[in-house]
Amino acid sequence: MAAGALHRSIRTIQLHGGSNDSASTKEFGNSSLKFISKGFTVDVKFLSDRSHSFSHCKMHVIRAISSHASVVDPILSTSHVTTNFNQNTSIESSLILIRHGESMWNEKNLFTGSVDVPLTKRGIEEAIEAGKRISSIPVNMIYTSALIRAQMTAMLAMTQHRQKKIPIIMHDESIQAKEWSQIFSEETIQQSIPVITAWQLNERMYGKLQGLNKEETVVKYGKEKVHEWRRSFDSPPPNGESLEMCSQRAVAYFKENIEPQLQNGRNIMVAAHGNSLRSIIMYLEKLTSQEVTNLELSTGVPLLYIYKHGEFLKRGSPVGPTEYGVYAYTRNLALYRQKLDEMVQ
Amino acid sequence: MATAVFHQALGTAQSHQHLQNSGSRLEFGHASLKLISKGFKVDIGLSRRGSYSSWKKKFGLIQASASQTSVVQPVSYPPNNSSDELRKKSSEAALILIRHGESLWNEKNLFTGCVDVPLTKKGVEEAIEAGKRISNIPVDMIYTSALIRAQMTAMLAMTQHRRKKVPIILHNENEQAREWSQIFSEDTKKQSIPVVTASQLNERMYGELQGLNKQETADRFGKEKVHEWRRSYDIPPPNGESLEMCAERAVAYFKDHIEPQLLSGKNVMIAAHGNSLRSIIMYLDKLTSQEVINLELSTGIPMLYILKGGKFIRRGSPAGPTEAGVYAYTRSLALYRQKLDDMLR
Repeated sequence: MAAGALHRSIRTIQLHGGSNDSASTKEFGNSSLKFISKGFTVDVKFLSDRSHSFSHCKMHVIRAISSHASVVDPILSTSHVTTNFNQNTSIESSLILIRHGESMWNEKNLFTGSVDVPLTKRGIEEAIEAGKRISSIPVNMIYTSALIRAQMTAMLAMTQHRQKKIPIIMHDESIQAKEWSQIFSEETIQQSIPVITAWQLNERMYGKLQGLNKEETVVKYGKEKVHEWRRSFDSPPPNGESLEMCSQRAVAYFKENIEPQLQNGRNIMVAAHGNSLRSIIMYLEKLTSQEVTNLELSTGVPLLYIYKHGEFLKRGSPVGPTEYGVYAYTRNLALYRQKLDEMVQ
Repeated sequence: MATAVFHQALGTAQSHQHLQNSGSRLEFGHASLKLISKGFKVDIGLSRRGSYSSWKKKFGLIQASASQTSVVQPVSYPPNNSSDELRKKSSEAALILIRHGESLWNEKNLFTGCVDVPLTKKGVEEAIEAGKRISNIPVDMIYTSALIRAQMTAMLAMTQHRRKKVPIILHNENEQAREWSQIFSEDTKKQSIPVVTASQLNERMYGELQGLNKQETADRFGKEKVHEWRRSYDIPPPNGESLEMCAERAVAYFKDHIEPQLLSGKNVMIAAHGNSLRSIIMYLDKLTSQEVINLELSTGIPMLYILKGGKFIRRGSPAGPTEAGVYAYTRSLALYRQKLDDMLR
């Protein structure tokens, strides 16, 4: 277990801004480093006379990172991702966006925002359907909001996935939460898909409108005002967020946390909400604020993007698993699909 | 909104230790009281001079909410009422315990413990089935562990409930989480069932066994040792919890937070895990450590207890919704069932 932890922590060093280049030996003196990667806390003490064996260890680990459907890597703030070890292969990664289905307040026509309301029976079915549509698209990591309707959508969708890896929700709200959720088998870790929950992916916070139904709101504030809050880009409801404010935090999160993973070749699924996903799409497709306010995302219908050479290519919506279309998205996806077919034989 | 916040705060005040008793006047001196009730944080600065009148003013609010099916029923806490009045409200409350169904690691025969693994398709179905069985039993509050498999079980089960109230997960992680999840409609709050997530209800933490399969474990530690950890009462696996340790924290949580709700007449559902529920049952049924070791809880089959006259009466497992058995549990439950039938006709 110590070896595994060390490998993981070394990869952390590799990806952290703290190490300048990948080849030379590192000077750490006698300090001890704490790597808090989601779910694992590793205390690594380095002594300067060990630097040779450390770098040897590290080189060995880097060669190991080549598998397309790779293990649970430590999830880090990868703002200084070293690019030298992945530019030789043409990196292509897939990004799936899923908007959750019907929630119990949708059904009652109440403004929900960031209130944590669960799915209805229909929302559950939508999630399972969405899962079938992406059952042949690789997923290495999952990001969801902090709200149960998005988390359930992700977990329900993954029950349909053909690969047998298992989503594991990462906990880092406290030291105890981290310790308690540790996994002690390398093999098991390799069969896991880390799931990260982030409030920055929450639905747009609707302030004082949360819990009100549409009539109540119009009576209270007037039809025009309500229309403005709902449909404008930068006009927030009282104590709430405008779409602009929501975009700011959602896109910032995407750029800092999710995009680097895509750059490293990891296939990502994001399960979130109408406004947080619209914000991300605004970034991916470089939409104007006018265009984004007119953008409607279907619930429970996943959207696929391919990330290649630093660009996001829109691939629409994967059709049902029995349709030919889904194989044709890219060569890599077709190969992945083939592997799954062989695996299940 | 301030109203509801205060109600909720008072509800917590009732169960907090340091507010001594229900009958006499409360002396607070110049202390400021922070009541952290689930999801809402209220700072109450009380000065000696102001205490009685400010409490009195707040109680004006309490008298307003009389509805039986209201959310977060304030536990009235007036300093000048006798303690008898507190008990006169319905002294019968239903307690439902549901153990979640199959998780993705159960399927693979891996020790799970506190690793946050989701449900399989089968686990999802079990949760829905469980929901059908309790669809006619009143639920005013829900408690779950911090793990997705228990939370999903609760949310899936409640999609089957005939009362159509909406579970709302309360967020307490920080100031922003609390603010963002606020509800601004009284009507909506009344139709809500607060859901409290608590790590004290988590599965027993299995330490260094988490993620290992049974073969790996027997190889690594020896068959006898493993049997001892799994089946003894007080022997923990390395860096893990014994059943006794799990029981300590689960039962303490039950007594501090859940039992007071039941005593005040609220009907509670707990969705949790094998060991945390066994621990609670050990307390409810006054089992010995020997008896609790031998207690097996079926997955996905809810268990019903009635709290009456300060005692927990075990009512077994509610039969399916079409069976006569479930009506006969108590008169109150039969009346509740009738109300639902009338409502949905």
